[in-house]
Amino acid sequence: MVALIVGLKWQLLRNGLRRSTPQLVGMIIAVLYGLGVLTVALSGLIALRFALPSDVARTVIIIGGSLVMLGWAILPVLAYGIDETLDPARFATFAVPRRQLVIGLLLSSLVSVPAAVMAILGLATVITWSRSLLAVVVAPVAAVVAVLTCVALGRVTSTASFAMSRRRRGKEALLFLMLLLSLGVGVAVSSIMKRASSPGLLPHLADVLGWTPLGLAWSAPADIVDGAIGSGLLRLALGLVFLVVMLVAWDSLLRAALENPRATAGAAPATRNTGLGWFGRLPPTPTGAVAARSIVSWRRDPRYVASVVLVLVLPLGLLLPALTGGDSAWTLAMAPVAGFMLGWSTHNDIAYDGTAFWGHVATGVSGRADRIGRLAPTAFAGSLLLPGYAAVSCVLIGRWSLWPALFGIGLGFLLTGFGVASVMSALRPYPVPGPGENPFGAPPGSSALTVLVQAVAGTAVFVLNLPLLGVGIGALMGNVWMGWLCLGLAVVLGSGALALGTWWGARLYERRAPELLADLSRIR
Amino acid sequence: MHTPGSSAALSLRGLSKAYGQTLAVDRLDLDVPRGSFFGLVGPNGAGKTTTLSMATGLLRPDAGTVHVLGHDVWSDTVRAKQLVGILPDGLRLFDRLTGLQLICYSGLLRGMDRRVVTDRAHELLDALGLAEADGVLVVDYSAGMTKKISLACALIHAPRLLVLDEPFEAVDPISATTIRQILEGYAASGGTVILSSHVMDLVQRLCDRVAIVAAGQIRAEGTLDEVRSGMTLEERFVDLVGGQTDVGEGLAWLRSSSD
Repeated sequence: MVALIVGLKWQLLRNGLRRSTPQLVGMIIAVLYGLGVLTVALSGLIALRFALPSDVARTVIIIGGSLVMLGWAILPVLAYGIDETLDPARFATFAVPRRQLVIGLLLSSLVSVPAAVMAILGLATVITWSRSLLAVVVAPVAAVVAVLTCVALGRVTSTASFAMSRRRRGKEALLFLMLLLSLGVGVAVSSIMKRASSPGLLPHLADVLGWTPLGLAWSAPADIVDGAIGSGLLRLALGLVFLVVMLVAWDSLLRAALENPRATAGAAPATRNTGLGWFGRLPPTPTGAVAARSIVSWRRDPRYVASVVLVLVLPLGLLLPALTGGDSAWTLAMAPVAGFMLGWSTHNDIAYDGTAFWGHVATGVSGRADRIGRLAPTAFAGSLLLPGYAAVSCVLIGRWSLWPALFGIGLGFLLTGFGVASVMSALRPYPVPGPGENPFGAPPGSSALTVLVQAVAGTAVFVLNLPLLGVGIGALMGNVWMGWLCLGLAVVLGSGALALGTWWGARLYERRAPELLADLSRIR
Repeated sequence: MHTPGSSAALSLRGLSKAYGQTLAVDRLDLDVPRGSFFGLVGPNGAGKTTTLSMATGLLRPDAGTVHVLGHDVWSDTVRAKQLVGILPDGLRLFDRLTGLQLICYSGLLRGMDRRVVTDRAHELLDALGLAEADGVLVVDYSAGMTKKISLACALIHAPRLLVLDEPFEAVDPISATTIRQILEGYAASGGTVILSSHVMDLVQRLCDRVAIVAAGQIRAEGTLDEVRSGMTLEERFVDLVGGQTDVGEGLAWLRSSSD
């Protein structure tokens, strides 16, 4: 049964790639990138064995391994989503014993580029630890435990976040948790950075991490090499216990999905909403209708939660150094970062419509209305956040004269981002989780595509704003008039980019609307 | 100059579409006269959905032309789309909207006045028996309710031609009767309907003209009686399309009486 499930994953992956070119491209990029990481990290692990003393190996592997495990736990929720080709709910009608299902799904998770790379590197730590016979015996066991724990953690956090995002108050709770978590990570990182220069910090950190769930399995062979056989075996046993706890947690989350599979497909319980809502408030034009529909989607569709988290949390993270008594200069970046993130966040907006996009094609709505309407939710958020964040920075720095420059840079990023997004979302949609699917899931190959497309969009926005940044820096140097010049320039350049982007995007849209719909039915 | 099929509500000429190596629609010609109630029947994979998608501007054909009441769908797009109402099969809806919002969205996207749209939306919801569910999210609708709300979206702008892909699939008899009555009323007042279906009985009862499609081509087309030529539509269909397999003595293991 377990082999069957793993085989199913492999088959689905192959067939999916055959069907969708963007996914294939994403997969090729992911594989190339993975190979790069693999080469560098492998040579590092070998060097740790032969060129460096064992206490360095200990520090590097425990800290590195713990970071990797932390990444598996939070990145699926924060950024890239997790590969959920095998949606557990689809097994609801088959009489698969749950224990076998859990093991099968866990092992099938290894059939993906990041998991495979990590598995190979995990096993390669055996080379690093090949300093004694017992270590060579313990290291592979510890590596397997560590790798499986990473994969299980990723599934647990993404399944749990999905379950939360479907509850009425869950979305807010989730936002709050994410905020707390990133604040915690931020505080930890900034306090480590502050003491980074003091000698013995990193080995000390490794000692601490080695007793946390993140580092237990990674540190077991290190102890064995050092001759602390008892504590090494203890860590391995505790690591195993943590893995089992994760599996039990995942199992109980799975049980919810299996016994109530409709809940995965559906949304929040039926609620009555009277009247037209946003459709009655915005102008009764096609543009207004698209805007109202976008706002409703951002509010009701859990898939947008991830975007909201990112846009809200990231700029707030910049407050940390100031709050922990460090350098408050970072807070200057709040408004610009928020503008940057918000601006191009709709660059794949059509993909979130899925095939429901046919409604736009069938009604022959103009490209202009489609392009501009889709910007409404982020424009609304930007009009509140940018002046607010800029003001917060000024309060913390104690220089109100910086406000026009900070707001100006944020506004410039926002408007040019809108222009870039308007063009990109009419070019070619790339795969995203479908409506009702786990918003923290990601079809195979899509993460690499996401990174690539976002890099392109981000670079485009950044380059377009270089003149603005120049003037902004001038304002930071103390030239108050340059701040106002920056704001004026942002309005002029930004509206120019916005007008050009929506015009070009609208042209593309009108020429390619049926092709976009065909792309959407292919990637779904 | 005479535009091809300007007297027809829908006129397809040499329509072709291939998916990779598979030819889904193969140089298909079809005229749907104005005021007719037209049934498109064919086995699964015959190319019905592909044909209707190309006819409504949702899918670009590899070759061929489509005219709606004399307007070319692929060059005079906006005008043609104003005249057509579509109910596609197997495509999603913006299902995070309420029923009322979804209908109004279809109207507003077409640039209609908000008062008109709201009034018509309420009338449609009443007529389709959805008035109670106007504030429920479409994602929470049943299959039958979803079909009905899609029909409402197709009707909101009072189209001259209705293109319905499998309008009766997964619909219970009561909802089916409601849909049928609305369509009959629409056709009686001069509107043109083209629908695809697997249910021969229903096509036989509703439609005055029929076309049988198989392997991307029209096999028979005309008034119901012409196409039937003395048989029932189902017999004629099986006769033309063929390929029925005789199960015979196979699947013996499936017979529980052998225990």
